[in-house]
Amino acid sequence: MISAHGLTKRFGSQTAVDQVNLKFVEGQASGIIGPNGSGKSTLFNMLTGHLPPSVGKIEFGGLDITALPPHERVGMGMARTFQLVSVFDSMTVWENLVLSTGRFADRGSGHRRFFFGPARSKTILENCLGALERVGLQDKAGARTSELSYGDKRMLEIGIALSLKPKLLLLDEPLAGLSDHEIGDVVDLLHEMKQNCTLVIIEHKISKIMDLIERLSVLNDGVLICEGDPEAVLNDPGVRECYWGKQVSNAEG
Amino acid sequence: MTLIAVAFLLLTVVMPMHWLTDFAVFCILVLSFDLLYGYMGRLSFGHVLYYGVGMYAASLALVHLAPNPFLAIGAGIFASAVLSSALGFIVVRTEGATFALVNLALNQIGFWLAMSGLQAYTRGEDGLSSSVRAIGFLDFYKVPVAFGFMLVCLLLVFGLLRMLTRSPFGILIRSIKENEERVKFLGYDTLRYKWLTFVIAATLAGFAGTLHALVKGFVAPGDMGPLENARVIFAVLIGGAGNLYGAIIGGVVFETMINLLATNIARWEMFLGIMLLVLVFWFRRGITGYIADLARKFSRSRGNPAERMP
Repeated sequence: MISAHGLTKRFGSQTAVDQVNLKFVEGQASGIIGPNGSGKSTLFNMLTGHLPPSVGKIEFGGLDITALPPHERVGMGMARTFQLVSVFDSMTVWENLVLSTGRFADRGSGHRRFFFGPARSKTILENCLGALERVGLQDKAGARTSELSYGDKRMLEIGIALSLKPKLLLLDEPLAGLSDHEIGDVVDLLHEMKQNCTLVIIEHKISKIMDLIERLSVLNDGVLICEGDPEAVLNDPGVRECYWGKQVSNAEG
Repeated sequence: MTLIAVAFLLLTVVMPMHWLTDFAVFCILVLSFDLLYGYMGRLSFGHVLYYGVGMYAASLALVHLAPNPFLAIGAGIFASAVLSSALGFIVVRTEGATFALVNLALNQIGFWLAMSGLQAYTRGEDGLSSSVRAIGFLDFYKVPVAFGFMLVCLLLVFGLLRMLTRSPFGILIRSIKENEERVKFLGYDTLRYKWLTFVIAATLAGFAGTLHALVKGFVAPGDMGPLENARVIFAVLIGGAGNLYGAIIGGVVFETMINLLATNIARWEMFLGIMLLVLVFWFRRGITGYIADLARKFSRSRGNPAERMP
């Protein structure tokens, strides 16, 4: 589905991601873990086109997309969520979904409706409500987004990503900052999404998604140190050392 | 829309009609700026450049081609659209203070060209006079006719912008204002839409410029001087940015104040300064924003907003 070849990102003399080779298989759910600052988000930012890689190549569906801007990657079926939840606070909840459900970016048809048709039309509202129903927010469609709880905003963000009908969805710490109850909701939703979408998830709360993922990759200091079956990876001595070893030295320091 | 027409007609009772003719033209300029600043969040210090381009193109068409008002309007719209398409291609790649200052720089260059670079055509500081031939009842030298024509133009621009800002495109530019990076990940080429919005705003400013040329019959570099941008920004802030009614309220309130102050007090700039301070500290969202906040407070005390359906 998507693969990285020798992907490297340098910020000045700092190497955030170093020669990473990764392959995410279609239909699978994969997890990425690693200590803070290990380059997980930078890797995501390169895969989605937010940051250009210093060196390396990214392939998506067999095509080289290394130089493609984000919106074209979205057009090819890629969607993402952000580490800090990213929705449009100044708008109502349903307005957040107008652009992603409408797919007005597709050239050709619908230009007149895009520029001159009211956003508050029956078809658009129905589409938005449909997308909100998937994430259980249909009752809050008319609320101001700034008034939603953090958990609801996370659900809304996932709803926006889903309404793009992605083939590949990259989620950057979707469970961070949520209550146990909300985590349950998001994990249920992830299970459901897995039916027709390839998932790549960065997550610290790995135990919550162990049932979901088929593969796990571990980054440390920008280097891919281990990958494979999640259970096996977690028991790998190198991974244990990078996690526990670091914490021990932190505790001592 | 009827509201605006009625308000302007009612104002003729308390103000000279030629004031209101000028106000209508100014309001078109303010509306165009509000699309760029209030809706898309891009503050330009050089928006009146395109007003000037429309103004001079219209005057030159009147002088050299034919004294036909519609030809003049066409020439002004064409010139401002072409220039903003070309310059917009560069300026929309900049953000924040750079965007504001690049536009200011371009405005300065345009001002210099009108003042001296293209003096052969613009007559520099002396200004350029033109006359318009009447077409049927459309005689711009009759004050009520000119007023009616400008009011219709204002309503047309308002109607167009209302459609644009209420459409999905309107949501797109508001989204760009809030978080442009995020919009890219919804699959939209934001650069393209920023460029398009810039061109629409500049062309409407050019349209306002053509009306200025028609109604005054005289244009001078001062009308497009970089300082003129302050008037437009003031008007948008007074009315409340990101609200089309606000742009018109702001335009009328600001111009009324300027006219009254200028006739009564020789040096009135200080009062403008004080007003800006009041706006910045107490009325951040202008008149319409203040009213909206009051309305929300009122409705919140009566029910849970989360239960409101779209």
